[in-house]
Amino acid sequence: MSSVDTIEEAVQLKRANFKQAAGHMDSLTRKQEQRETEGDVRVENPRLRCNDVNVYYGEKHAVMGVNLDIGRNEVIAMIGPSGCGKSTFLRCLNRMNDTIVGCRVTGQIFMDEQDINASGIDVVPLRATVGMVFQKPNPFPKSIWENVAFGPRIHGLAQNKAELEEMVVTSLQRAGLWEEVKDRLEQPGTGLSGGQQQRLCIARTIAVNPEVILMDEPCSALDPIATAVIEDLIDELRELYSIVIVTHSMQQAARVSQRTAYFHLGNLIEVGETTQIFTNPVHKLTEDYITGRFG
Amino acid sequence: MTNQNPRQDIAGADVMDSRRTFEIVRAGMKRRQSAEKRFRLYGLLAILLGLTFLSVLFVSIIGNGYTAFAQTYVKIPVYFDPAGIDPEGTRDPDTLNTADYSALVKASLREMFPAVTERGERRELYSIISTGAGFELRDSVLDDPALIGTRQDIWLVADDEIDMLMKGHVDRTVPELDRRVKDNQIAWVDQLNSEGRVEKRFNTNFFLAGDSRDPELAGIRGALVGSFYPLLLTLILSFPIGVAAAVYLEEFAPRNRLTDLIEVNINNLAAVPSIVFGLLGLAVFINFFGLPRSAPIVGAFVLTLMTLPTIIIASRVALKSVPPSIREAALGVGASPMQAMFYHVLPLAMPGMLTGTIIGMAQALGETAPLLMIGMVAFIVSIPGGIFDPATVLPVQIFLWADSPERGFVERTSAAIMVLLAFLILMNAIAVILRKRFERRW
Repeated sequence: MSSVDTIEEAVQLKRANFKQAAGHMDSLTRKQEQRETEGDVRVENPRLRCNDVNVYYGEKHAVMGVNLDIGRNEVIAMIGPSGCGKSTFLRCLNRMNDTIVGCRVTGQIFMDEQDINASGIDVVPLRATVGMVFQKPNPFPKSIWENVAFGPRIHGLAQNKAELEEMVVTSLQRAGLWEEVKDRLEQPGTGLSGGQQQRLCIARTIAVNPEVILMDEPCSALDPIATAVIEDLIDELRELYSIVIVTHSMQQAARVSQRTAYFHLGNLIEVGETTQIFTNPVHKLTEDYITGRFG
Repeated sequence: MTNQNPRQDIAGADVMDSRRTFEIVRAGMKRRQSAEKRFRLYGLLAILLGLTFLSVLFVSIIGNGYTAFAQTYVKIPVYFDPAGIDPEGTRDPDTLNTADYSALVKASLREMFPAVTERGERRELYSIISTGAGFELRDSVLDDPALIGTRQDIWLVADDEIDMLMKGHVDRTVPELDRRVKDNQIAWVDQLNSEGRVEKRFNTNFFLAGDSRDPELAGIRGALVGSFYPLLLTLILSFPIGVAAAVYLEEFAPRNRLTDLIEVNINNLAAVPSIVFGLLGLAVFINFFGLPRSAPIVGAFVLTLMTLPTIIIASRVALKSVPPSIREAALGVGASPMQAMFYHVLPLAMPGMLTGTIIGMAQALGETAPLLMIGMVAFIVSIPGGIFDPATVLPVQIFLWADSPERGFVERTSAAIMVLLAFLILMNAIAVILRKRFERRW
């Protein structure tokens, strides 16, 4: 086992390893400058079209000049190592970054020929159209019914109680939660299991009938069985909505998405059909990531 | 090869010997354990010391004060002499109102003790019964004019000195000149007592009457009502203002130098001595705005200024403790910041806000110094009927009674403290219940 006999030798070996690692880091940081994206970022008749989107946290340039289209009725997955800007980019799409102090977004994101970053655009209708599901299930500490009814109620979507009731039931059915909770709609949403809570959050999002659903690592707090249920659900929801999903699990990206975007240190490195990205990536960095060389 | 355990690489090195680590740790264990024991002991001692002081306080207050809840009454046959009350027989309330009823009491006492004829002795005899007895008779005659011309056995309030004698606070062995209660009086009271005409009853006067110079007639109702008005007004003013300020600062205000300055100053205001608020109230509300002195409304304004920082700070802490995921969830479905606030964040923060408010109100209830400055220290007999009537508050009443020389006020001071403490404990209990009741888990 040991070709190393003395402490000195061991120390030398360690130093060498460290230098090698540091060299690798250097090469990574050198690539930080902005660069072109491999693959076709544009699609026919997009739901959302992003032009040169940059995000700054104070001095830090977190997302660099991203161009990307989100198609209709597709699931697009965003993958990449931690801190690569994929979640930050996702939050640009419904302007959730507005809530972060010191965060600045430039560039255009078009939805129906309208730039959502333009001055004078109200975030309320935008967020009703582009819903969001968060990493950690975050149901309101209220009843299941109240959780789902909240969106339609604040937007005044239902004309009467019966309509609201129908919206709640439909949303819970679409989220695949109806059978499990139909007898206990008055119980607190926080009393459900983790996977049920996340599906409740999805039901809450689709209750306002959005066009795009953003999902920020929706399964990272869930066990494999709950994850599988949600993945099936995402596949079904594609019929009705465009879905953008950020995930750390490459298997998940491969399972649920039609297109995949690979982010690296704030740059969008490569976009393409999911099968192509996972079988035949163009960019070296993409290949390194999906083969597990780093991440 | 690269995954080697460094411990194995240098296994021979003495400094990394696990046996040696074990020996060193074991050698130090005794010291660590005794340090831990010592620390626990200090904590226990601190708690015991606190409990000792608390029990000394309670024992002394309750020991001094519990007797104030009983009051000595003397039963006297009173002849409601028509010649004295209503010589013309008109039963006109004005006439009935102005008649000299204490003469009736005096006449009755003279009748009971015919041997007492000398002026000075008679005065001593009359002073067995409280000077307030005449008013009591007047009230009963006004209630029921049919009493006139009849002879009734009536329980009348004894003078506070006699009350003290009956409660054993007067030392009979002290030379007569050094006592307030004279030998004659002691003899008469003992005689009345042996006839079963002296009795200690529950002191309803204490809870129903306003302040008085005579301890047996003095009550805390005026002070209770006087505390209630400013407190209610303070709550009405400070809760919405405090919560609104906290919500704005925490959720909506931009983070800049101005809001930093405001934040620092709110924290400073919480530490400003209360008497300064009193001076401010005197200068601004009374001198500048011309509001009446001694009035609950001015007291309420001053107490509002005092409790606002407490409420704002507590409310901000409560808002901060609401997890940001709740806000994000609400914003994520398109709620406006205000909707997210009122539907979700505020209800979750409410128990903390209410706790802070109740603690602030309890503080306001016990506040004395600023109210002295705005004239709520006046001697006020009547029970205030509104926020502009002169009033005294409970702690100031305690202060006034503690200052009075009569022996009868000693027990009343303690009794008033008991009432004040009861209210404070009640308010804090409500705070605890609210917190437990509305606390939500997420």
